[in-house]
Amino acid sequence: MLKNYLKIAFKVFLRRKFFTFISLFAISFTLVVLMVAVAFLDHIFGKQSPENKQERTLGVYFLEMKGADGRWNGTGGYRFFDRHTRNLPGVEKMSLFTETERVYSYKGGEKIESYIKRADGVFWEILEFNFLEGGPYTEDDEKNENYVAVINEATRRKFFGDEPALGKTIEVDGQRFRVVGVVANVPYLRQVPFADIWVPISTTKTKTYRDELMGDFIAIYQARSSADFPAIKEEFQARLKQVEFPDPKRWNQMSGAIETHFEFFARMMTPQALRFGSQPRESLANRLIAAIIIATLLFMLLPTINLININVSRIMERASEIGVRKAFGASSWTLVGQFIVENVMLTLLGGAVGFAISRFALQFITGSGWFPYAEFHLNHRIFLGGFILAVFFGLLSGVYPAWKMSRLHPVQALKGVMQGGVR
Amino acid sequence: MIKHLCKLVWNRKRINFLVTLEIFFSFLVVFAVIVFAVYYTDNYRRPLGFDYQNVWYVGVERRAGSGDKDLPQQLETSRRLLAALREFGEIESAAGDYTAPYSRGNWTSAHDYKKTGKTIYFGCNAVTDDLKDVLGLRMVSGRWFGKEDDGASYKPVVINRKLARDLFGDEDPVGKDISDPTAKEKVEQRVVGLIDDFRKNGEFAELSGYAIYRNDLTFKPDARGNIQGEPPRSLLIKVRPGTTAAFEEKLLARMQTEAKDWSFNIKPLVEMRASVFQEYLVPMAAFGLVAGFLLIMVGLGLTGVLWLNVTQRTKEMGLRRAKGATRRRIYKQILGELFIVTTIGLLVGTLVVVQFPLLNLMGFASPEVYTASIFISLGLIYLLTTVCGLYPSLLATRIHPAEALHYE
Repeated sequence: MLKNYLKIAFKVFLRRKFFTFISLFAISFTLVVLMVAVAFLDHIFGKQSPENKQERTLGVYFLEMKGADGRWNGTGGYRFFDRHTRNLPGVEKMSLFTETERVYSYKGGEKIESYIKRADGVFWEILEFNFLEGGPYTEDDEKNENYVAVINEATRRKFFGDEPALGKTIEVDGQRFRVVGVVANVPYLRQVPFADIWVPISTTKTKTYRDELMGDFIAIYQARSSADFPAIKEEFQARLKQVEFPDPKRWNQMSGAIETHFEFFARMMTPQALRFGSQPRESLANRLIAAIIIATLLFMLLPTINLININVSRIMERASEIGVRKAFGASSWTLVGQFIVENVMLTLLGGAVGFAISRFALQFITGSGWFPYAEFHLNHRIFLGGFILAVFFGLLSGVYPAWKMSRLHPVQALKGVMQGGVR
Repeated sequence: MIKHLCKLVWNRKRINFLVTLEIFFSFLVVFAVIVFAVYYTDNYRRPLGFDYQNVWYVGVERRAGSGDKDLPQQLETSRRLLAALREFGEIESAAGDYTAPYSRGNWTSAHDYKKTGKTIYFGCNAVTDDLKDVLGLRMVSGRWFGKEDDGASYKPVVINRKLARDLFGDEDPVGKDISDPTAKEKVEQRVVGLIDDFRKNGEFAELSGYAIYRNDLTFKPDARGNIQGEPPRSLLIKVRPGTTAAFEEKLLARMQTEAKDWSFNIKPLVEMRASVFQEYLVPMAAFGLVAGFLLIMVGLGLTGVLWLNVTQRTKEMGLRRAKGATRRRIYKQILGELFIVTTIGLLVGTLVVVQFPLLNLMGFASPEVYTASIFISLGLIYLLTTVCGLYPSLLATRIHPAEALHYE
């Protein structure tokens, strides 16, 4: 029976090619936009190297300090993380690193711009980078203030052409580092691992960072499993209460949250009042997901109405068929089923076209260089997302016209054959 | 005529309702994009207030505790740095500031004015005396900072016209105090001069009030409030035309010898301007592209629906033709019906859109920008539906009376 439906549907599509084209255009365009959006979300939040242990990693990305001087919102300081957040129960490893900073080097009169990140040795254990040459620096390098650096592929090209860089030195921001490893480029939008050059924290020009509760630092924590998250979060809140303040008259209270990167992002998207303060309720991440779903539905609204419009207008084309089938005893439900199957088939066809176009669109965005080192691929997750969206879209735009079609009175419908008129 | 057309539209209310709905949503989409486009275009045409050509930005990263004990020494280093820069033949003038044009950081202040009960927000900066030459600021009245401000008991400030208007209306602001009346420890902030409109965030940014304070880079042990000198967060230098990037390296090396623990990054203001432009234009282009495709889709769909409608009404058209209606009148009828359906959709759309400013949702757009956007969007949708209606109504005029009446 399904085979028959498909056969009929195919004939109908071919009957009036202009209308089939309109429908396909609408469907594929809608899906292209949605798939590009999904590819972006996947690129920023999906699991990908080097963040292979993302699902069991928490971080402290944002803190607030209060006192007589007001509020200080921003990234945490080395002293806070080092003194107060080590050995959280359930945490296997903890790494400290700075936010990236732009630095410049000069080579033969030419300026090279790079992003530098200062990170400890554990950074390379939690994040699994793809090393092209050499390897990471270690905790010993961090302790001994060794001027060593890991650079990415793009930086190697800028400094040394495409020749091996191992053991050579680079000069950055007036400091000289020996290259110990070269890694594959990491996209700019992956804010945790991203940088062009990674060097030990202890190579910072002055050591004042060691006394700061608020500063340029982010910490990530690798848990044994995500089941430990609630306990870790609870302990973190307890630790916040035990912070020793060097100058309690100025600052005497810290608050913040240990959370996944997505939870952090969700928190930053919510209104200011909810953003800061203690551990946010779990619902913020869910709220962001809900907001994304609502935005998607709103975007799909116009294409859906458009498709419904065309489908309803095309009912008359099918009048004879409906009349005959009804006259021979087909129930309304059977007909509704048939038309929905037809519409879903059309949307899947449009989805396939949209998928092909998305590939080109994503290639174009990758090539545009708007997002350094970004590579937007279509993977099975995005394909699955697109497929679900296409089916959903097909159902959404098919139900009302199908219901309307099935309601045609057989006698009228049969008469409608003659009204079909001018082709 | 119109009454009759309305009746015809009402007779086919189901299908017309769907078309109206589609037009309503299209209007909302078009409006959302147009309001931003009009807003940015409007901003772009307004004066910027400073020159960015041949100006280089030097970000200064001090990496030192914010403790006051380092301050005298840091100020000393800052003064030495600026003096060293001025020795270069390539440099015309150099100044220190807090937030440079086109840079990310913003320093905003808010003053509650009891008189009007309104809170007025404005951008701030603290600069050294040379900034006027570096950025080519034009004084409208009063004077720029100078030696006469040394050791003054007040905090000298130069404001832009917008802030003067916000605070004092049409009165001359020179000599007036702009400190927050609700502040606990009051320090007089005396306006010494008025500059043209100044938009720190560049051409696309909205014109907002701006206050420039003086930073004399000297340490005052007994200073109250913000009169204290501060090490600048960035330096701005005006280079001679034709100075190339090769000079950057020399410059950097010199600065590094003066301040070993500090980090610097040099960037021509033109480049910073380009990246600010990109930040504004790329999302705009993306939304415009999506909205454009949505409109093409709506247009095609509408053409299709109208076409099918005409086909279904062959008999009606034939009868009218047989009774003596001219082709022109048929043409007018189809377009007229479409016009009515469009108008209903747009009417509802406009009613909805007008609610936003009432609910304070689109505060950024001025009433002029908002009204202009509504009219442009209305025009665009009318244009779209008319274009979509042309071919189907042409088809309707081609119906031959004999052929049409032949049915049944």
